[in-house]
Amino acid sequence: MNWAEQIVQTLKDWDTSMIVYVPDISIHQVTSLIDADPYFKLVSATREEEAIGIAVGSYAAGRNAAVFMQSSGFGNSVNAIASLCVPARTPIPMFVNMRGGPGEFNIAQVAMGRAVIPIMDQLGLPHFILEDDGKMDKLLDGAMKLCHANRQPLAICLTQMLHGGKIA
Amino acid sequence: MRRFDGTQLVSRLAGDAPIVSNLGPSSDELWHAGHRDRNFYTYGNMGLCSSIALGMAMVTDEQVISLDGDGSMLMNLGTVASIGREQPKNLTVIVWDNEQWGQTGGQTSHTGTGTDLEKVAQSCGITRTKTVSDLEDLEAAVSEALASSDGPYFIVAKIEEAGYMSVAPVEPEFTLYRFRNTFVEPRRPGD
Repeated sequence: MNWAEQIVQTLKDWDTSMIVYVPDISIHQVTSLIDADPYFKLVSATREEEAIGIAVGSYAAGRNAAVFMQSSGFGNSVNAIASLCVPARTPIPMFVNMRGGPGEFNIAQVAMGRAVIPIMDQLGLPHFILEDDGKMDKLLDGAMKLCHANRQPLAICLTQMLHGGKIA
Repeated sequence: MRRFDGTQLVSRLAGDAPIVSNLGPSSDELWHAGHRDRNFYTYGNMGLCSSIALGMAMVTDEQVISLDGDGSMLMNLGTVASIGREQPKNLTVIVWDNEQWGQTGGQTSHTGTGTDLEKVAQSCGITRTKTVSDLEDLEAAVSEALASSDGPYFIVAKIEEAGYMSVAPVEPEFTLYRFRNTFVEPRRPGD
């Protein structure tokens, strides 16, 4: 099972069938699998804060939801997380493709990419870097368990080192 | 038409249908109209009221109502496009349109200078739309929407701003889980 298939399996293991996303070329490796699988409802949002709102609505009506976005879009979603997910205590796992790290070609991606983890820390939200180290299944399963136990959003960060995604 | 009169009307027509309310007066007045566990009051996340309702409508067969506001909807017009794209048959969006940002000093909003939210909805592929300015027309439009299985409906309700009621004593976490527990078995410790 590769990293993308492992994420899909973990979402199923945690009964998380509503997936809201803003397209990204690297997370496309996961969202294309989700789109092809009738277990899931994949919804395309126009902006990441909207994706958070849709996911919270799904959770509120009883169906677990996850969000996929790029680190730049995490910046767009911060107030939605801080003023909706945090005070209402909604367990929304966020899969964030991290731009701005090793392999980055675009200067405009660097500052926001570097700011994701400090912002998560300021909000008091857990975050993990997903690595293809033979322990991916344990990390993903443990992160989902923590997310629901804590009833707060949580970030699983996907890097270029993992997915070999967009470079120059 | 006053927003509170419209809110009381919608609350009465809604029966047990979930209602999501925009932050500020829309949520306060929904609470004053009569609390129900199916009310999802919001107190932050400006712009996301109808996004939350869209998320709900896609996972339940029940009718879902969004009580949005013009200023908030202008902040997230993209969600009108998402509603048009997803076409949830059970979603009714009502926009209280006072053509101003009432709580920040009454500054004129874009609907007061020409933006027509009904036409925005139509251009996003939402075909069942209406603009109303009195209670009689609002009742007819909402009644039609709630009796239909062929939404989404998008109703712009022009209102005259009539001041604000006291802030409702609601709390986000209680609101969410009280609401959610009407759909699923409540969580137990250790779940």
